[in-house]
This record gives sequence, structure tokens and C-alpha cells, in this order.
Amino acid sequence: MSIPRANYDPRRVCVNPCPNFTPGFGKHKRTVGVYLAGALFAIANWTFFDAAILSAHAKPPHETEPVLVHVTFVDWVPGICSLLGMLVVNLIDKDRVRGEDGFGDSRAVWRARLLLFISFALMAGGLAGSISILILKYILNDYPEMYKYYGYCNVSQNVGLMLSAVVLWISQSSSGEYEYSLTI
Amino acid sequence: MAAAGLKTVILLSFVLAAGFLLIILSCALWSNWLPLLVALTFVLAPLPNALFSHCGSDEFSTLEDGSGPLDLGRFITSVVVVTGFALPLVLAHSDVIRPAASAMSIIGGGLVYGTILAYSAAFKQDDSEFD
Repeated sequence: MSIPRANYDPRRVCVNPCPNFTPGFGKHKRTVGVYLAGALFAIANWTFFDAAILSAHAKPPHETEPVLVHVTFVDWVPGICSLLGMLVVNLIDKDRVRGEDGFGDSRAVWRARLLLFISFALMAGGLAGSISILILKYILNDYPEMYKYYGYCNVSQNVGLMLSAVVLWISQSSSGEYEYSLTI
Repeated sequence: MAAAGLKTVILLSFVLAAGFLLIILSCALWSNWLPLLVALTFVLAPLPNALFSHCGSDEFSTLEDGSGPLDLGRFITSVVVVTGFALPLVLAHSDVIRPAASAMSIIGGGLVYGTILAYSAAFKQDDSEFD
């Protein structure tokens, strides 16, 4: 059975290939990328913890009016979704997704792609959930700016987690000095 | 080499003591002992790399940096270091500690972590003949 020639690599997952970043780090590209991903992960989580601690210690601006809104469990849910998605994305073996012949059984490729899809959907759902919390809980209720900051922190947490996962993926799939190009 | 090593050790120990002095002062001057967590964080920061560096490369692997455990160690190290810098900033932002205490604990933590980095960089050559 002959497969017709295609002008794209049929093994790859995304239609548009990820750009191959080659800044001047050379062979330390993977190390720098992993450190950068960890820093992004911590910054993202600390922006949200900043909002949570600020809300826990919030004092009302005047003595008469109470504190209008707090960070509750609803605000934590998008971050937890993004975290789970990021965990699963990085636990999947990248060679499984590529799906080469004669490497394991072929059903494992299918399962790995399904898991990858679910985890990307979790991350995108976390980002969408944080934006919807920002709009539904903080902007539509017309709170003052010091409470909208909680919503902004939530969105930036999820954006940072997604950026961290992207940086980690790129730095791990561009492998060092031997430069076999893995076109995911 | 021995004299230079001795001078390095003495200098680094003074810097380490100054770092801990700054952190403890930032706690004691305002009698709020939360910034002491910064010292704990920075002392724990080199631990993941030290643990996972032995998992990655056995003597048969030729790739220096190609394994998952090494990457996990670097990721956790980076998370812990950023945590050490972010914790005083967040605490100062929500008025739990004073901004001056936050700045002092950040500088002290930076000195402590810089000491650890400089120490492991200065005495790296001694270990390299064993592996």
C-alpha cells in the first residue's frame, strides 16, 4: 500500500510547526529553557498568591463600609485546572506522540494523543475560566479597581502557567547538540 | 591554591554571615518573624539539583543534559529561588511586613544564595576527578 506524497510531515501533531528558537545559548539551550520555565511557573503562582494574601488581609477603605469581595475557592479552580493540564503535558513521552513505526504498539500513540488533547484542553479551559471569572465576578459587578486586581492576577497566573508549559515543551523537544529536529 | 582557597572560604563565610544577619535583623527589628522563611527557602534552593544530579547520568550515558530527572531538579530549583524573592515582596504588598524588612530579607537571601552558588562554583574542580 502506497501512501501519497504529502508536502508536510505526517508524523507531526500541529499543522504549524513550532518555531525553532536558536538564540546564542548553544548547547545550554535546554538548561536555560528549563530554568526559565521554572521561573515563569513560580512567578505565575506567586501573582495569584499575592491576590489571595492581599484578600485575606484586606482592610476596608473606610470604617463604615465592609470589604466587598474576597478571593474564594472559585478563583482557585482555573489555576488548579491549568496546573493539572501542565502536569499531564509534561508527563507524556514526546516520542510516543510522534508515533514512529515499530516503536511500541500503535494504540499507545492514540492514547498518548488523547491524553495530550485532554491536557491541552485543561490548560485552555483554565485560561478561559480565569477570564470568565474576571468578567463575571469582578467587572460585571462593577467593583472598584482594588478588587479587579484579583481578577487580573488570576488571568496572569493562567497565562504564565501556559507560557511556562510552552517554554518547557520547546526546550525539551529541541535536544541539545545533536540536533535531530523533532517537528512537533 | 591552598592559600587562595582559604581566603575564599573566609570571604564566603563572612558574606554568608552578613546575609543571615540581614535576614534576622529584618525579622527582629519589627518583631515579625515571617521573613525567616526566606532564609529557609534559599538554604533549601540547591537541594533539588544536588539530589537529581546523580539520577541523570550513569557512566554509560553520553548526553550531558538529556534526561527528565535533571530537568525536574532544575525546574524545582528555579521555582524555589523565585519563591525566595517573591515571598517578601508579596508579604510587603499585603502589609504583613514592612517594605524595609522586605528589602532587607531579599538582599540577605540574595547574599546567602550567592554564597552557596559561589562556593559550589569555586570548589567544583575538586569533585570532578571522582566522576
